[in-house]
Amino acid sequence: MKSNDENDNSVVYSTEPEDFYYMDINVPCQAACPALTNIPAYIRALYEKQYGQSYEFNRMANILPGILGRICSRPCENKCRHGESELGQPVNICHIKRAAADLQDKVPLPIAEDLPTFGKKVAIIGSGPAGLAAAHDLATIGAHVTIYEAMDQPGGMLRYGIPEFRLPRQIIKAEIDRILKLGINLKTNIRVGTDVAIEALVDRHDAVLLAAGCYQSNTLHIPGEVLPGVYPGLEFMMDVCKDQPPELGSRVLVIGAGFTAFDCARSALRLGSQDVRICLRRTEEDLVVTKDEIFEAKAEGIRIESLLLSRRVIGQGKVEGMEFVRTHPGELQPDGKRRISAIEGSEFILPADTIIMATGQKPVPFDIAARKDDSGIPTADRKTYQTSMPGLYIAGDYLSGPSTVIEAIAMGRWAAEKIAEDIIGRRFRELAVRMEDTQITDRQRAWDFIPRQEMPTVKPIDTRLTGMDGEVETGYDSRMAEEEAKRCYLCNLHYEIDISRCIYCRYCIDVAPRDCIKLVEKVETNEVGAITNLVETKDWEAVNAVVIDNQRCIRCGECMRVCPVDCISVTRVELVEKMAQSETQNG
Amino acid sequence: MAEKHFIVIGNGPAGKEAAFTLRERDPESRITVISKGRASSYTPHLLPDLVAGKIQEEDLYGCSLNSYAENDIKLRCCQEVVDLNLLKNEVVLEHKEVLSFDGLIIAVGGTPRIPENLLAYKDLMYTLKTLEDAKIWVKKLQQSESVLIIGGDLTSLVLTKALIHLNKKVSFILNEDAFWPLRYDDDLFKEAAQRLTDKGIKVLYDRNIKKIEQLQDGTNKVQVDDQVLQVGMVGAFFGLVPDIGFLAHSGLRIDRGILVDKHLNVGVENIYAAGDCAQIYHPDIKDYWISIGYENARMLGRTAALNLNCGCREEEVKPESIFEVQGININTTWWTEF
Repeated sequence: MKSNDENDNSVVYSTEPEDFYYMDINVPCQAACPALTNIPAYIRALYEKQYGQSYEFNRMANILPGILGRICSRPCENKCRHGESELGQPVNICHIKRAAADLQDKVPLPIAEDLPTFGKKVAIIGSGPAGLAAAHDLATIGAHVTIYEAMDQPGGMLRYGIPEFRLPRQIIKAEIDRILKLGINLKTNIRVGTDVAIEALVDRHDAVLLAAGCYQSNTLHIPGEVLPGVYPGLEFMMDVCKDQPPELGSRVLVIGAGFTAFDCARSALRLGSQDVRICLRRTEEDLVVTKDEIFEAKAEGIRIESLLLSRRVIGQGKVEGMEFVRTHPGELQPDGKRRISAIEGSEFILPADTIIMATGQKPVPFDIAARKDDSGIPTADRKTYQTSMPGLYIAGDYLSGPSTVIEAIAMGRWAAEKIAEDIIGRRFRELAVRMEDTQITDRQRAWDFIPRQEMPTVKPIDTRLTGMDGEVETGYDSRMAEEEAKRCYLCNLHYEIDISRCIYCRYCIDVAPRDCIKLVEKVETNEVGAITNLVETKDWEAVNAVVIDNQRCIRCGECMRVCPVDCISVTRVELVEKMAQSETQNG
Repeated sequence: MAEKHFIVIGNGPAGKEAAFTLRERDPESRITVISKGRASSYTPHLLPDLVAGKIQEEDLYGCSLNSYAENDIKLRCCQEVVDLNLLKNEVVLEHKEVLSFDGLIIAVGGTPRIPENLLAYKDLMYTLKTLEDAKIWVKKLQQSESVLIIGGDLTSLVLTKALIHLNKKVSFILNEDAFWPLRYDDDLFKEAAQRLTDKGIKVLYDRNIKKIEQLQDGTNKVQVDDQVLQVGMVGAFFGLVPDIGFLAHSGLRIDRGILVDKHLNVGVENIYAAGDCAQIYHPDIKDYWISIGYENARMLGRTAALNLNCGCREEEVKPESIFEVQGININTTWWTEF
């Protein structure tokens, strides 16, 4: 369905499948963001020095821009078209997000008194990213939200799983405070299941969302794992974040490949360990942590040991080392990872005084009368977030297992939408493709050659290792932020040739910086009517159209500037959230 | 049947040997060598001798361009591969040209590694990988009487010999990375340090370089833990980083280099790797290993070409000889020949 904006006829909203398909393919950064953050829009706003607007474009989708601008896993950057093989490096999307948060003029959020209310009560268990995101959305539409938090501070893994040198506590506090100002009631130091039963919460509320995260470390089940000097990664990080770190030896091995492993290793250095190594089953190339994280860890002196598998912890009464075998990466599995096999006979020992097992974590079981999996963890439908207990929903890492902050936020928001739909009988938001004719941008071809602006960090390295609280990344200033923002191609601009007016002069093809404008014999579409392939031809007689391939186009605007008949138009296309048009009944 | 097109990426010892071996075995095929470097090709293992003044630049050049033409090998110089498409068997060049292949040997070299914590001092540390590097050493040594070498690998030791030959005062920091894949422990350190000391080289027991700064007179002040040294030059030998960034999206298995099996195959039919970029599991040292030295590189290039052309011919893994380079046994005690 397509509809015009009530106030502006030049704006069209579409919910047609073909338009969603177009967005998926042609604005890959936004499609890659689990929260569907409108990335080109916030980058452009920042370039225009509209820092508050840039922050808001973020906040509307991902709720916590200042936090995510520091620790997001950045799936968007892996899809950024600037990173295609002959186009250079991806835009530093995450750092621009942080710049928006750092440079914004503190746009006021609505406060509780401004919001509607409809008398429904929702309890949320856990104040991590998923719980906060759900609380935000539900409070915004008028629910009375109470968050129950087991720890004495809100934030979940943000507060207790990420060290302060990566995520300063005042940033967490500021962004959570803004959410709480929506009228959310936060109750800390209440462990649901111990201090209050889930069933009691379900009885007292219209809905309860269990977003308690994953707080139980996985074990490797190898001999020696319980020797003194072996620490589960999550417990270690939580002790560090509570300012109660354990005594570490000089030589530390961290087993694991995720952000927690890197946080543990970098924390160990700051706690005085001299020789810290991260041990991987796979290769450095396979790591999911960001390149920046790997670089900074190495710069601080951490060594990365790849292709090894833990066999047993060595030691008499305390840790003395770890026996490993070498591994061989085999064929790709359906999850995209390579199968790892041990090379028998390759046993060797790395000496260590401390071993930190950062090999993932899982949810803590709840003893409630809802359907559970084999481990005793309550389960929920992945689309409705409903459990078998009426009124109880699950979201975030508790449902999905360990994920990223942005994934947890996205799931928290989707769960809030489902809860709202169930308790008030209608959807409160829907996705649409917003289309607006626009003028050619002022983007210059020379901007394609601006080098990626690397994040400034504290130097010399030694000075950052003296404590846990000094933030390592110091942030872009406005000049660096603007330079990086210029690099964005603005893939949300759709270029199109009006073939009824085209005179086939091919000037546009002559000036195109890459093969983005094509002489086409046939346009192939899929079942929803979206273009899937342009069949090119070199036979002039067979040419039926000159078509801009927006998947190849880098939005330089050269074609539009040379077109003698002005038949090339630009439309800004954006995937946006809007108030739902239609009402649906509960159930 | 259309002629086969073999592409060799890299024109160093491994790449060159691979190309000429391919031609030797298949007179009919089309062979293209793609090199980032210029046309003139020299033997890099002789660079320390050039620094020592034992040979002249012209002595480095072994293989004339004519030999490529005579063997009908197309040499594309100053061209860089930026992508490898395994689905289409194509390589993409920086200038956007796309070349299809029936067989591919990746034999790219490496770039001297500077550890991340020392990158700020990169401009003050000298490496020895290219002819340009050697010329800089020759020029700078004219004003420098003392050199601090951070290393332990073959190049650093051969260069140190050259420096002794030139009567320079040499200090040495043994670096763990230079010994990869050997397990670097106190025993290894003591033995290597003793051998260097016996030759009159000062071995530093402090190893943590905290700061390097250039003084007004052109010498360098180096802070190593709590000790401050003043030296004319600093040589950095932390091993090589293979130039395989272009494979990032290819789907090949990458660790320190391209992981290959014992036939040097990368896990994809008709694609092999050889030389500084090929990483192979070596059962004797129970670890992965990347070729060290000129002769090894040539042997690997030849093996890859034979396997590509003729099917599997096992690389000759001889525990006592695989690390044999130019007569120096570099298995687990390469410094003993120092």
